[in-house]
Amino acid sequence: MSNTVIPLLLDSLASAALIFFAAVGLTLVFSVLRVLNVAHGSLYSIGAYVAASICLFIASRQLSPYLSFVALLFSAVFVAAILGPLIERTLIRWTYGKSEAVQILITFGLFLMLEDLQRMVFGVQSLYEDAPVRLLGTSQIGGVVYLNYQIFLIGMAVLVVIGLRMLIRHTRLGRLITAVVADREMAQSIGIDTNRIFILAFSLGVFLAALGGALAMPTSGVAPGLGADTMVLAFAVAAIGGLGQIEGAAVAALIVGLARVLAIYFVPSLDAVAPYAAMLVVLLIRPYGLFGAVTARRI
Amino acid sequence: MQPILEAKDLHVAFNGVKAADGVSLSIHDGEFLAIIGPNGSGKTTVLNLCTGYVRPKSGSVHLDGQDITRLAPRAIARLGVARAFQIPQLFSDQRVIDNMMLSLAAKDGLWTMMRPLETEARRAEAEALLGLVGLADDKNRISNTLPEGHRKLLDIAVALALKPRLLLLDEPTSGVSALERFPLMEALMGALRQRQITALFVEHDMDVVARYANRVLVWNAGNIMAEGHPDEVFKDQRVLQSVVGVA
Repeated sequence: MSNTVIPLLLDSLASAALIFFAAVGLTLVFSVLRVLNVAHGSLYSIGAYVAASICLFIASRQLSPYLSFVALLFSAVFVAAILGPLIERTLIRWTYGKSEAVQILITFGLFLMLEDLQRMVFGVQSLYEDAPVRLLGTSQIGGVVYLNYQIFLIGMAVLVVIGLRMLIRHTRLGRLITAVVADREMAQSIGIDTNRIFILAFSLGVFLAALGGALAMPTSGVAPGLGADTMVLAFAVAAIGGLGQIEGAAVAALIVGLARVLAIYFVPSLDAVAPYAAMLVVLLIRPYGLFGAVTARRI
Repeated sequence: MQPILEAKDLHVAFNGVKAADGVSLSIHDGEFLAIIGPNGSGKTTVLNLCTGYVRPKSGSVHLDGQDITRLAPRAIARLGVARAFQIPQLFSDQRVIDNMMLSLAAKDGLWTMMRPLETEARRAEAEALLGLVGLADDKNRISNTLPEGHRKLLDIAVALALKPRLLLLDEPTSGVSALERFPLMEALMGALRQRQITALFVEHDMDVVARYANRVLVWNAGNIMAEGHPDEVFKDQRVLQSVVGVA
């Protein structure tokens, strides 16, 4: 029994970590900007492409493979620093206060543009560089050989949850974000630069998406279509947790991760369906998600 | 001497009703100027025009000679004009001290974004301001649990935290019990004098105006009907009829 339970739990946690990275940026952006960003999955895949390109460059130049870990983080920072302010100022800002239909249409247009942009820049072939996975090696847990990189992913997800919590609750940025979420007009009346907060919050969302893609790349590579797959999964997780709820996204990722791994272990043909079956069950019981409320707006 | 704030030939109307019909006014350093007038006469619109919440059809508003007519509320707040609202605008689910610290930190630069909001210096400044308006004992309460008078004072303290040169107050004593009214005004006046802040306030309570304002503008149908020291203005029969309701 333990031969199955421990790997199942570890696989679930590792799967949940990747799913969490895909969804947390989406839910953060929604909580602050009240914008459903359909292009979120594309930002995830761009993070993966940039990470793969840099890691492949490091390998081709026979530089220290440990640089590939720096490359994963750098990719996310790079993508967020370039695309975050650019997209927010040119497109997202025009959707504030507009209906969800307008937001979805505009961000869907952005999704299509970003998907084509990726094909133009990175081509249509898959990219894959597993140096970080090889470097960390394997461990035997419960008699099963396990990739240490998956444990690293779990640790990174825990770090992001704790980091986001600390950022929101204790830093000036986090408290200003909370203030803007609570009352945008009041925030403006005391001189808070809400435009700056929106740019920073959106860029933070882009960073989280790109970091998710970059961290996933060494295990699964990146290929055209990753953005669309990620977007659908991220929406399912955000819906289960309650849109705008960061803790909700973490719990929802655990549920989806467990559902997915249970399916892989016992009914492999249902692997792809499992996350959406979990979403269906949760939304039938709690239509606003596990942590969501009809009017409450918390992050 | 150049006024702190000067509005020139302001015109604004809502659905055909004129809230300001070619009005000009000014306020000088150290003044405590009151605007009185019947309901719906456009008093609050003056505050909205001066803080960027409403833009005039024509005319201009100048702060220290700088044209602020088309600036956003945030930009005007950053230039030193703070506002306290008729219904207190607070972060209701946050503690009193947090409201203060947010206001104190609102204008800091980009590079301090990742530093803690709560620093010793900021907390001390917040506590000093709360002490100034008599809310020191309420600092750890959630702001929506405060009585209305204290919420008003907190709203004023939040505005003071912006270190304004000019404070605009919309009916500071409305919704406040008769017992709380004068203590609130005493606390407010003490804070304004100590910090050398000029103030413009809209008020319905003539006792408050008579006691605290050193100049009064009487607003009626988008125009200034009378202007002067409260003692003189309250002798004007037209003012007594239209504002106080005395025949």
